[in-house]
Amino acid sequence: MTRLHRQPICVASALVVPILQMAAPSWVNLDGVPPSWAILWLLPWSLVDGPLAGAIAGAAIGLVLDGLSLGDVTQVPALVLMGWWWGRLGRRGPPIQRSLNLGLLAWIGSLVLGLSLWLQWLVLGLSDGLIQSWALHTTLAQALITGLLAPLIGSWQLLLWRRRAPA
Amino acid sequence: MGSSQRPQGARLRSIQRLWPWLMLLIALGLVRLSKGAGFADAFALLSRPFWPGAAQSEWVETAKQQEQLSRLELLEQDNARLRGLLALDQQSSGDWLQAAVISRTASGWWQQLLLGKGSIEGVAKDDAVIGPGGLVGRVQSVTPTTSSVRLLTAPGSRIGVWLPRTQQHGLLVGLGTARPQLQFLDKDIQVRPGDLVSTSPASTLLPPNLPVAVVQSLNARSVPAPTALVQLIASPDAIDWVQVKVR
Repeated sequence: MTRLHRQPICVASALVVPILQMAAPSWVNLDGVPPSWAILWLLPWSLVDGPLAGAIAGAAIGLVLDGLSLGDVTQVPALVLMGWWWGRLGRRGPPIQRSLNLGLLAWIGSLVLGLSLWLQWLVLGLSDGLIQSWALHTTLAQALITGLLAPLIGSWQLLLWRRRAPA
Repeated sequence: MGSSQRPQGARLRSIQRLWPWLMLLIALGLVRLSKGAGFADAFALLSRPFWPGAAQSEWVETAKQQEQLSRLELLEQDNARLRGLLALDQQSSGDWLQAAVISRTASGWWQQLLLGKGSIEGVAKDDAVIGPGGLVGRVQSVTPTTSSVRLLTAPGSRIGVWLPRTQQHGLLVGLGTARPQLQFLDKDIQVRPGDLVSTSPASTLLPPNLPVAVVQSLNARSVPAPTALVQLIASPDAIDWVQVKVR
């Protein structure tokens, strides 16, 4: 079987991320904060397809999401970093498939993404105390909801993609 | 003696028989003098179940709203004429475009709306977007069929506002939370919680005199100038349709 990034149907599945970002289903959020759909899609992709494919997929999704979002902050660096790191984890160690592992990796990824956005807000000069408390709340809430959803969505994606692209 | 006593007794008995009728006449006389008091009240009480239903009251309310709308239109025309005489920007002469909200992110990292109308319908960057009750944000980017609106609550959002009661200017700054911060330009303020915040009457970037928010709490010790937290009148969480002021 060919790798994931050579299978059009697997590549096309990335379209789900911007669609979910725009649809923003109100029943999947924690205190109004939605999960990071990009993290939820990127984690299994990188674990199956390796560091380079993970980093490129992170950059591609980040660019699309940056285009859809208003503001001057970007998700690209955090998604590239996470895609590369998860790809290395998937290649080097034993296959990651336990729910706790997936949830923990997604939680770390969402936390890194939130912290990178927070840092960018600070660099842009938004240093008001109330903005800091909002950023902390959003980072923690998004990391938690993403970490909780990852075992549900990620394990199913891993199963599907490992069948299509066995190691 | 006996014959002289009988007529007197008969007269007394006839008076005794008549006095209830006399009392009734007196009572009716009082009713006449009081313009039907008692009767009208009793009728109202008895006929209450048969009073006109809510539908008729709604018709009256609709007529009242139409009257107020027509008065508002006349006042807007008058206002536009006066603004023309004062050579102020003719923002109010633009059209209002109804647009559906096709994507809403009212919390999280990006706080924005995606509208189902874009540059084909005449929407342009910086157009004001109004929800039921007041201003919700400004158009930030436009595609041919959609437009993205940055909400007033979004971090980094800044618009100049006006407090009609105290006649003072301020800057409304988004903090990411549901309540933006109002930064005053003067140190001496007389603002109270409950004061209305609107767009400036002389605004050239936004439609003038548009309700925006209500002052919720005040921080008079903030430096360099006092600040306040405000509650937006139009809550972006529950808006499905908005109006865009097309220039």
